[in-house]
Amino acid sequence: MDFFASSAGPIAQALGTTILLAVSAGVGSIVLGTLVTAARISPVPVLRWAAFAYVQFFVNVPLLVLLVLAVFALPDAGFLLPLTPTAIIVLTLYEAAYVAEAVRSGVNTVSRGEIEASRALGFSLGQTLRVLVIPQSLRAAIQPIGNVMIALTMNTALAAAVGVVELTSAANKLNLVEAQPILIFTAAGLIYMVLALAIGLTAGRLEKKLRIRR
Amino acid sequence: MISSRSILRRGLVLLASAATVASLAACSSGTAAVPGSDPSASAKASSLEEVYANAPVADAAALISDSTMAKIKARGKLIVAEALDAPLLSQQDPTNPEDVQGFDADLAKMLAIYILGEPNVEIVPPASETREALLANGTVDVVFNTYTITEKRAEQVDFAGPYLESGLAVAVRSDNTDINGIDDLGGKTVIVGANTPAVTAVPEKQPTANIVSFATDPQALQALTQGRGDAYVQDFTLLASHAIDDKSIKVVGQPFTSEAYGIGLKKDDAQFKSFINEWLKKIQNDGSWAKIWDATLGSAVESSAPTPPAIGSVPGS
Repeated sequence: MDFFASSAGPIAQALGTTILLAVSAGVGSIVLGTLVTAARISPVPVLRWAAFAYVQFFVNVPLLVLLVLAVFALPDAGFLLPLTPTAIIVLTLYEAAYVAEAVRSGVNTVSRGEIEASRALGFSLGQTLRVLVIPQSLRAAIQPIGNVMIALTMNTALAAAVGVVELTSAANKLNLVEAQPILIFTAAGLIYMVLALAIGLTAGRLEKKLRIRR
Repeated sequence: MISSRSILRRGLVLLASAATVASLAACSSGTAAVPGSDPSASAKASSLEEVYANAPVADAAALISDSTMAKIKARGKLIVAEALDAPLLSQQDPTNPEDVQGFDADLAKMLAIYILGEPNVEIVPPASETREALLANGTVDVVFNTYTITEKRAEQVDFAGPYLESGLAVAVRSDNTDINGIDDLGGKTVIVGANTPAVTAVPEKQPTANIVSFATDPQALQALTQGRGDAYVQDFTLLASHAIDDKSIKVVGQPFTSEAYGIGLKKDDAQFKSFINEWLKKIQNDGSWAKIWDATLGSAVESSAPTPPAIGSVPGS
């Protein structure tokens, strides 16, 4: 087991990168996903179609394909970004589509009566969305958004394939020297499990606190 | 953790160390990296057919009852963990998926002939991070995957061989004139394959180098040509074969490590290990080892087939 002690530094650093990926892409995808949902329920047809196309594209293309495209195809088109920001951007764009679907499920919980009431009171569309629909939708969709965040955390592992040194990549590197795949990948798996549990429990507590009782 | 790894510096003759970069660059396109992509490939294939036809087959007595080889014989196929994307080593023909060629792939077929009398090989593409597990749980019979013999690994698996020796070398973009080998990589961004010995060998030689690892060899090459790193460290023969096809990169300097590749076997199967070592000696002595080298790795370097490494010559084998 002594090799775990000697490799604690690189593993901790790699775990830091995993958390950085998960947190930045998590915040980014919740913001972007909510905007996409707002576009999707707006009365402007072009916005609705664009949001629909966005969600369909990202839900139907595997994340690894997107990562490989962003890392290896964009430089040929003249965009050469460092690897970690590239991974964060791709993860954000990808997970935002799933967040948008989760928030949209929340939108369906907002009663028509309330929306009609807000119109009757002279609220503009922006006001209706901002003070009525989006907050209620987010509060109703906490658990599904939490699940998307868990999936996002697991998906950060794919960044290892395109050169980002995160937890999976560090486990790979360690295994290359120690030749103990079962032990090392089980340990890495347990760390991912702890991260997922933390997100799941946080989502559960948030939901308890913020749920709208009807 | 790095110091614990045994680096095999034994002054052994490096594979193709005679070949200089200049002579490689001067090569005509007749020595293409992927067998099948040039006119001489059919000649190569037929020369290997002759090698297969004359390949040694084990005596029935050698297949001791209840041994691993007897089980393989009864099953009728040899299950091998090998790559599908390593030019000259183990490369799948995209137009004919059944056709996998290269030094590792052809040796695996020879081993299948030795046991079964026919080149009946089932390939399990190795997730190379789990080669030890594939052997331990019996998914594959052998690993033919430029599997560097190390003492740490030898605690988990047995190694027959070594059957080939090579070393890591440095490739850069053709327009790069600052880097002339491993000694110039301090402070530079160095690209490596995610599961290759370069991951640990580069920091040992150049602790200040910034390592970026990619999952596959084609990705690493792409990253080099796109400027995600200053240099790419990989096995010399692999780099040499790429440099012939792709004029945008060049190999600089000589190999700076000595890697002894072994055939990975399940731990503690001494019978099977000595059986395979016997086979290796046979194909080395009858010249088929050299013929396979010529048809595969030898097509990328301007030197005759090297002397095969002595069986059991490195710690862990």
